[in-house]
Amino acid sequence: MKPVPLYLSPLLFVLFGGVLQAQAPSEDTYELFKLSCVSCHTIGGGALVGPDLKGVEERQDRAWLLAFMENPQGVIDSGDPYALRLLRESKGQVMTQIPNYTKAMGEKLLDLIAFESELEKSQFAGLQISERPLTQEDVDLGKALFEGGERFQNGAPSCLSCHAVHGLTGLGGGQLGPDLTSVYARLEGRKPLASWLSAPPSEVMAPVFQKHPLDGEEVLALVAFLKETAEAGHEEAPANSFPFVLAGLGSTAVAFVILDLLWRNRYRATRKPLVEKSKR
Amino acid sequence: MNDFLLFAVVPYLAISCFLLVTIQRYRQRASSYSTLSSQFLENKRHFWGSVPFHYGLMAVLAFHFVGVVFPKAVLSWNSAPLRLYILEISGLALALLSLVGLLNLISRRLSSKKIRKVTTVGDLVVYLLLTVQIVSGIYVAVYSNWGSSWFASNASPWLWSLARLDPQVQYMAAMPLAVKIHVINAFLLIGFFPFTRLVHVLVVPNHYLWRRTQVVLWNYDRTKVRSGK
Repeated sequence: MKPVPLYLSPLLFVLFGGVLQAQAPSEDTYELFKLSCVSCHTIGGGALVGPDLKGVEERQDRAWLLAFMENPQGVIDSGDPYALRLLRESKGQVMTQIPNYTKAMGEKLLDLIAFESELEKSQFAGLQISERPLTQEDVDLGKALFEGGERFQNGAPSCLSCHAVHGLTGLGGGQLGPDLTSVYARLEGRKPLASWLSAPPSEVMAPVFQKHPLDGEEVLALVAFLKETAEAGHEEAPANSFPFVLAGLGSTAVAFVILDLLWRNRYRATRKPLVEKSKR
Repeated sequence: MNDFLLFAVVPYLAISCFLLVTIQRYRQRASSYSTLSSQFLENKRHFWGSVPFHYGLMAVLAFHFVGVVFPKAVLSWNSAPLRLYILEISGLALALLSLVGLLNLISRRLSSKKIRKVTTVGDLVVYLLLTVQIVSGIYVAVYSNWGSSWFASNASPWLWSLARLDPQVQYMAAMPLAVKIHVINAFLLIGFFPFTRLVHVLVVPNHYLWRRTQVVLWNYDRTKVRSGK
């Protein structure tokens, strides 16, 4: 048999390479997976809030998975036994719907999961965060990171910028994001919370923390702090802006006094004093 | 798509309008670069309107400017909660100062017949936009705190992405409605700027910020004229 001419090799690569090796998913699909899935799922790293997705299509067919991604609550409500089992395994946590979900989006995500499942180790095999026991030092560091006294290595803003938590002094935490007093209990524990913090999926946080991700030790410290706060059983207090507004009003009054003093010999009204003077 | 319209299309339209019309107005009607002073028509209430409004607003604008240009320095300053609270209270107080000033200026303009005569539609648009801007800013400061920090982490990179002609609207897309109103209204102010009295901001150097009182001299017997003798 004659050897294949060299100039045909790219053609052969295109024809058979594609068949032999599943096409790598696009950057966009990776971004979508990171944004929508990794905070609750791994591929080959064990269950978090949701199940491990490695080889998911060996357990359920694609049509079922697409239907579930489109309307998780609907499938559960229909009494589907597999969906009910998932619900039990995730301790009643229903999967959140992907914003602006389309079937094409679901297909792409399943292709990505299939591709990553074939790899020896997927980049989504879970967190490289230590399983060591949490210490009081972790709690203290977590508190300092939350309040800002200790800065995040990669330059992310402190949690206090947007979140409140029980036990803050002064004017308290921010209100842009939710109160985090019981977030440890809400997300059901260390691993899911650590996963969430490693790639915060919320729309406001995602772009910031993709550029300034938290370091593994920082995640662990925050988990330790939030665990202690949640386990102390404090209530999430309603936001109270009154002291801040009062301080603002007081400072405004002081500013007016300063303006009054600064301008006491200057023209509050230009014409009238001149006219008065001219009459003397 | 709507976010792209709000946080990419609107800003670029506003800035284009600002640049083109500012230049065109200066070339064709340079002498119209003025606020058309109304101080000689009524000035008793001018001090408590004009002074707090201008100084409050300039300080607040300076805070925003620092947030855009030195976001890391702001986050570093805010890393101690006490310093964050001081910055936020100062910002709120300055905004309240400019709001009191603006309300005084508006009531002065509406209550004096003489000033109403020289008030244009442009002036009313400016007052409306400024009121929305300051009120929404105060609302955001109180209900979406702490803005100085998240401005540095979210708004600053978004504004820089606009400057690089690579708008990253995802930084702002999920912000609360009041923040969106504040931001979009700011760009409306920039867009309307060259059509209105706001052009006086560009009269460099703005010597009236720090000049001394001007001395008015008469070279005739003013006592006689004033007393009507």
